[in-house]
Amino acid sequence: MDKFASLLHLTPAILWMVIKVVIVFAGVMSLAAIFTWVERRGSAMIQDRIGPNRAALFGKIRIIGLAQILADGIKMFFKEDLIPTDANRKLFWLAPFLAFVPALMGFAIIPFGKSFVSGGVSYHLSVLDPGNGMGMLYPLAIGGMAVYGVLVAAWSSNNKWSILGGMRASAAMVSYEIGMSLAVVSIFMTTGGYDPSEIIGTQGHLPWNWNIVHQPLGFIVFFTCLFAETNRLPFDFAEGESEIVAGFNTEFGSMKYSLMALAEYSHMMTASALIATLYFGGWQVPFVKDPTVMLSVACFLVKLVFFAWVFVWIRWTVPRFRYDQLMHLGWKVMLPMSMGNLVFHAWRMSQGH
Amino acid sequence: MFITFALITLLGALAMLLQKNVIVAGLCMVATFFGVAGLFVLLGNPVAAALQVIVYTGAIMVLVLFVIMMLNSHEEEKAEASRPVQRWVSLALVAALALGSVKLVLASSGVKALNLNGAALPRATTLQNVGAALFADHLLGFEVVGLLLLAAMIGAVALTKRNL
Repeated sequence: MDKFASLLHLTPAILWMVIKVVIVFAGVMSLAAIFTWVERRGSAMIQDRIGPNRAALFGKIRIIGLAQILADGIKMFFKEDLIPTDANRKLFWLAPFLAFVPALMGFAIIPFGKSFVSGGVSYHLSVLDPGNGMGMLYPLAIGGMAVYGVLVAAWSSNNKWSILGGMRASAAMVSYEIGMSLAVVSIFMTTGGYDPSEIIGTQGHLPWNWNIVHQPLGFIVFFTCLFAETNRLPFDFAEGESEIVAGFNTEFGSMKYSLMALAEYSHMMTASALIATLYFGGWQVPFVKDPTVMLSVACFLVKLVFFAWVFVWIRWTVPRFRYDQLMHLGWKVMLPMSMGNLVFHAWRMSQGH
Repeated sequence: MFITFALITLLGALAMLLQKNVIVAGLCMVATFFGVAGLFVLLGNPVAAALQVIVYTGAIMVLVLFVIMMLNSHEEEKAEASRPVQRWVSLALVAALALGSVKLVLASSGVKALNLNGAALPRATTLQNVGAALFADHLLGFEVVGLLLLAAMIGAVALTKRNL
């Protein structure tokens, strides 16, 4: 590492930072891209169809249709980029980025592997090193920014359906944020810290010490709220083919639409990583006390991909909610459950458990 | 870094004032809040930065924009006939406010401590410190604020829902 850094005229710290940023963002983006294909294949599997399997590299190498991602990308890039005449042009350009950037940024805090020491310097496998003082407040803050992508996209396209979709989605996102934050707060409380590395450290390597076992109620609330936060079915009120066309991205085409779709999948990746970190021990390998770095990264990836698959699975299994049902669930079920969970754990801690 | 965040804050605020379009003005305000959050990080208080983003940009501004979109008014209301006196009075008031706040900051104990001790790197505030300060040193204030917010919330519900 040191030699490579001096070759590039950089300090090892800066080089490591650059490597981390590239790994995390390239990794999340490619995982998100792969999941656009996994979603279609998964839906096909669940609905007893075959799904996209014909796209092939150079017309020969099929790899079960995985080349579909590349084909889609090329198609999106070469499509005509239309902007409606009455749209607010600047905001219309800005909206896909406002949707996409927070989706990627949220991942920066998550430790995706065990820290290691090399040459007397310890290297942490997360873009923001532990002890930065932001801790798990950071993904909550960045998650709140995701609303702007939807709101700006909806408003700038100057279209009734878009605005309806954007308003519904933003109202849902804001209401579910409270329940979600309270669920996270009860984890802060039992951990005694709010840094993700502390949260992972206290959970340990034994699965029955993970937060999922200690706080199943909190997990249910957090998991449900994430569906509203990421705008995924059964709570995808930003869209709705039978009522408001494609909702907030009705007017978006070509690569702008593609960015919006990628933002959704990046959100899904960040959300799965959060679930794994908060409730399933992050990079901890079950029953292995001191895993190697590669093993811990692999274990984290397995957890992440599994939860991302659960997102797909639920989308094609559970029917959509009606809007009033969504609000009812958010305010009258999830919020009291989350508060109850918080008070219960506070009481248990006061009893000295 | 300081210059960057200060510029974001000031330009955002200025753009917000000059912008005719209400939604764009709101988004400029979001940029301002981000600049302030950045300044908080530079001051060694990442907790305040995170809370700034969560509360102001993540909740309050979203609701403000939400209401603007709900009313769907694309244009600002026409200003009344301008009174030049107002402009001068406001300018004088702003100048007095700026002078007063600068004087207050320069006379504060923090700046004096900085003169004596030099600019030692401050330790970052953690959430634990904030919690301890709230519940140990400022318990009464905290409870009063909580009660006030509860009363405001109940009042808002009572005002909007005539028949509960």
